[in-house]
Amino acid sequence: MKKINWKKLKETDWKKAAKDFWYGKPHGERRLGDLYLPKTGLYKHREWRGVKDTLYYFNKIWLYNYGQMVMDIMKFGGPVIFAKGLWRYRWMGQTYLPVLHWFDRGLEGLRGEALRASAWHYRAMTCVTIQQFMAMFRADANLHGGQHNEAWKHSIAHKETVWGGIFYPWWGEYQNIPLEMIPYFVTCHVNNHTVLNYIDAVQSIGLPGDPCPMCQAEAGLFVLDDMPDYAPFVITSNEACDGSVASTAIQDWFLNKPLFAMPQPMQFDDPLVQEHCANEIREVWKFIEEQTGTPFSWDKLKEHLERQNELMRFEWEKWDVAANTSSYPINGVAQALYRIYQSQYGDNFIWHDTDKRVRKILEKCVAQKIDTFPKTRHRVIAWSCAPLYFSNWCTWAYNCWGLNTIINMDSLMFNMTIRTDNLDDCVMDMARYHEWAPMRRMAVGGMHHIFELWENMERFHCDMVMMYDQLQCKGMQGVHGLFEDEFRARNIHAIWMPHALPDKRTVSRSEIRTIINDYMTTVMQEEPLDPSLLDFDDSESW
Amino acid sequence: MGKVFKFLGKLLLIIGGIYAALFAVFFFDLDGKALFYGVEPMLVKHYDKMPRRDPLKQMYETEKPSYEYKA
Repeated sequence: MKKINWKKLKETDWKKAAKDFWYGKPHGERRLGDLYLPKTGLYKHREWRGVKDTLYYFNKIWLYNYGQMVMDIMKFGGPVIFAKGLWRYRWMGQTYLPVLHWFDRGLEGLRGEALRASAWHYRAMTCVTIQQFMAMFRADANLHGGQHNEAWKHSIAHKETVWGGIFYPWWGEYQNIPLEMIPYFVTCHVNNHTVLNYIDAVQSIGLPGDPCPMCQAEAGLFVLDDMPDYAPFVITSNEACDGSVASTAIQDWFLNKPLFAMPQPMQFDDPLVQEHCANEIREVWKFIEEQTGTPFSWDKLKEHLERQNELMRFEWEKWDVAANTSSYPINGVAQALYRIYQSQYGDNFIWHDTDKRVRKILEKCVAQKIDTFPKTRHRVIAWSCAPLYFSNWCTWAYNCWGLNTIINMDSLMFNMTIRTDNLDDCVMDMARYHEWAPMRRMAVGGMHHIFELWENMERFHCDMVMMYDQLQCKGMQGVHGLFEDEFRARNIHAIWMPHALPDKRTVSRSEIRTIINDYMTTVMQEEPLDPSLLDFDDSESW
Repeated sequence: MGKVFKFLGKLLLIIGGIYAALFAVFFFDLDGKALFYGVEPMLVKHYDKMPRRDPLKQMYETEKPSYEYKA
């Protein structure tokens, strides 16, 4: 039995201990790294954030979200079909059950309004994810004895890189469900173990290891026969690059359904290709009309584009606060994931509900001039494509070093509203929107767009760049040296973060942390805010 | 009246007990531990031994209609 250390007890400053209990320990004394169990990333105990914030986390985040997840499952199909899907699909069972740990990783160390606003973003993403997998399961012939039910007949499958807005004209009658967004993309953030099965599967049939691991994983889902059969036809795209075209070929083979390919131009600034891209959209609408027998509805398209424009306008307000004040209550990972999810997936009721809640918090922060990230030492802009298995690096970097990620490249992609006063202008804007997709506009979309970094750095008053270095992206590898030159010429502090998108085996999270630690100690000559976070083993963590 | 208060007291105690138990699950990350050490390994075992169709045995139909429209 452990002996009571009377000496230590005597030396305890009880007044300080009571204050820490009530308000939580101040940043710098928290030692968040001591909370982890070795390797697993599980907590010995979850963080004590003071009475108010701990109870908020317990009641309004942990309990609330577990409850809402059950409610969402009941609302979007019921427990039976959910259980069937969970039993059938690895990406479902292995990934989505520990979703609350995904919240934990992203929200570590947050307090007050930043905790509240960021958590609402996570709630929205969870709800949209549940909507999608439940829609897949409701329609899935694999779960219905091979039968094509009404839900199957009223679903549209498309690559996750086809923007959901393309399908607004059939809103309410047909549900578009991206093929890979839930089985691949979101899984990597929540539980990065799952995706490794799919990467290995596609390499096991002869694919070399060096193509984009995103496309590898997407193809691997089909090789492992882990894709629901939920729609009668499919629409594909070449977003972000030709790797996507290659995975489409495998999807075409294994899905064996009517398929419409809707490519977008890489170098999209040319006005002639703009016209071409708009025609592709008109063609896909004809294809959907032909396949469904249901005519295109301009009224529905207009209605949902206007709703989406509303989301964009609020995003601009958020950016304005992020750029010009220290009262922005959304942390780097919540900002990045919510924005890319919302702008790629398209209109949904939960985005509007969330934005209403976040607006209240944002306005309170601005009105009361609340410093939401008071330990900010550097305002960081994150550029290029992020490591999906460590999207919460920015939470860690703020807690450990005071590196506050203000904005990131993916958030700035679809930076436009769409005209809805006439169809011709509307389609031209939709084409532009589609061309500004993730991994296209500022990655393989041409030098001018890649270098939009400089103006955004200035606009958001950032003094440091976290430069993602996706080792298997041939496009971005090609401009590595140019960035190096520019960083030197402009005297910008930039940390290169190598990674292999979903695959944590190439560059581990621990290696990423070491790279940042090394830069902060050697180049910046700074001391960590929380030394317990410098080095810990989370190699087996979700 | 006494009986009502007694019942309400018991109900409050039960609700309080459940709330405290849930707080313990939350605070000591018991949900995470159960999922990590119990549920995930069990499910992984199930997925690993699940019979799966081999899609490679399926012919790649290259004669499918191509969809082109005059937009």
